[in-house]
Amino acid sequence: MNSTELELTYTALAESIARVGETKTSLLLATLALDLLSRQPDADAALTYILQAERLANI
Amino acid sequence: MNTTPSLPDKVPVLIAGGGPVGLSLAALLAHHGVPCLVLEADPSWCEGSRAICLSRRSLEILGWVGADSPVTAKGLPWVGGRSYFRGTEVLHFEMPSEPAERFAPMVNIQQYYIEQFAHAAAVRAGGVEVRWSTRVSAVRPQASGVDVDCQSENGRTHRIHADWLVACDGGRSTVREQLGLQLEGMQYEGRYVIVDIEQDTRRQVERLAWFDPPSNPGSTILMHRQPDNVWRIDYQVADHEDPVDAVKPENVLPRVQAHLDMIGETAPWKPLWISIYNAKCLTLPRYRNGRVLFAGDAAHLVPIFGVRGLNSGLDDAGNLAWKLALVRQGRAGDGLLDSYSSERVLAARENIAFGSKSTEFMAPPHHGFELLREAALRLALVTPGVRSLINPRQTSPVEYVNSPLNQPDQGTAFTGGARAGMPGPEARLRTLQGLGHLTALYGSEFVALYFSNNPRLPDRVQRLAADSVVLAAGSAVAALRLVRVSAKGGPDSRTVADDLGQAWQRYDAIEGTLYLIRPDGYVMGRWREASSAGMDIDRVLKRALKDPG
Repeated sequence: MNSTELELTYTALAESIARVGETKTSLLLATLALDLLSRQPDADAALTYILQAERLANI
Repeated sequence: MNTTPSLPDKVPVLIAGGGPVGLSLAALLAHHGVPCLVLEADPSWCEGSRAICLSRRSLEILGWVGADSPVTAKGLPWVGGRSYFRGTEVLHFEMPSEPAERFAPMVNIQQYYIEQFAHAAAVRAGGVEVRWSTRVSAVRPQASGVDVDCQSENGRTHRIHADWLVACDGGRSTVREQLGLQLEGMQYEGRYVIVDIEQDTRRQVERLAWFDPPSNPGSTILMHRQPDNVWRIDYQVADHEDPVDAVKPENVLPRVQAHLDMIGETAPWKPLWISIYNAKCLTLPRYRNGRVLFAGDAAHLVPIFGVRGLNSGLDDAGNLAWKLALVRQGRAGDGLLDSYSSERVLAARENIAFGSKSTEFMAPPHHGFELLREAALRLALVTPGVRSLINPRQTSPVEYVNSPLNQPDQGTAFTGGARAGMPGPEARLRTLQGLGHLTALYGSEFVALYFSNNPRLPDRVQRLAADSVVLAAGSAVAALRLVRVSAKGGPDSRTVADDLGQAWQRYDAIEGTLYLIRPDGYVMGRWREASSAGMDIDRVLKRALKDPG
């Protein structure tokens, strides 16, 4: 994905979060994350992303 | 005793507003031989640094009237910047830059210096009168011009008839209000406090940004160096903070001190100027209303992020000046001014689109953008691929797509170079005066760039050098200057030597390629093999200027 496409994706997700509202934001993001993780080659790859996100969230 | 001479009753061009755009436009018009009167409500150049980042393109425009050298002598050049999330660098960006370039991509300088240098250039060019402490109070469009009432310091009202009125009177334009015109668009809630402080520093000149810094948790802070040991510091205030309280020194100074402490700037300092700002994305739908034209903030307001405000205002002035001069001198139909409107409205919309993207990051307008920014800043620590999201998208010249002035490419296809509607690329060259730059040839008249290594020009090209085939003799801006760009051999009076091959490469030239460059440095048309194909540049010029569109 090039930087223009990344920017479009960033905006689309921000607007999607705004549309569902704060109470459903976690559900939206969890659904999205699980879908994307399911496309990883194996559980190890998925786990790496999960642990990275957990570490960054705790910064 | 009041020795101020009385105001004239009639002027060819009246400019409402003597800010950086109005004064630069006056200088550019004077350069093209059009006298004008500038009315400014304030008593002198502005207070506070205001717009401080001048782009390379703006320096080129100021260069047309010799106002570039005082800016570069005083200003601080820079090429890039750094962004930090908390204490860690998450982005280092650099704008396009090359050795021995004519101008740095950006120069920082206080707006009052820009106004001063533009004013001096206008005076030097001659035919410009600037009246301070004189405000436009009423505007009445007429069939053959505009009647304008203005009030001078003593409260007396004076009526002036102007053939043309250009509104450069800023975001709260009186001219716009008098004509009952509305800006269209939206504005963002997020507010930034702007502080200038004086402090000695040796830090490199670059754009610095901190997200959620330990000095001011939750805030975003921007810093720019300016000449005279001045720092510009912008920081975001929380949504719940009252804007009046936010600019009180007792609320501002501790935040500044905390941040200076954090970055290790320990020299004594004092505040110079405090203001507050929120991002606006607004434009008039048209910049021409009969004999009234709009430029700068009077025409459009764009977010501060990406420094597209003053820079786009100077591009307005650069676009308008030559067109108004040609119309005023009877060399072009007034339809040419509609191309000013269509080209610069397009530019404003593009600036607004980029400015909105930057604002969504710098002052997130809702929960979704706040959350995404938090995520992007964290991911930037480990994933370089997302760092482009943090890039401030600095201003760059806008392509005038579908302008009525653009001539379609003819004959053999170009595979690169600059299309009609794009700014003519820069190149280092050798001229009779020594080493120089191609863009320094632009800004006064039309230029025909003919790429050839043969000093003997074909008849049809040679013909262009004769005054008889151009629009008219005696009008500088209506003239066509023929310049041969040679990749071999030295320069002469009308030949520049492209020793490095930059011009040939950047214009995608082969032997016999010809570019027609407008007086504002934009490409109007190009012919890959001008000597053999149907190259009818004089007819193109006449048709485009007499009846554009």
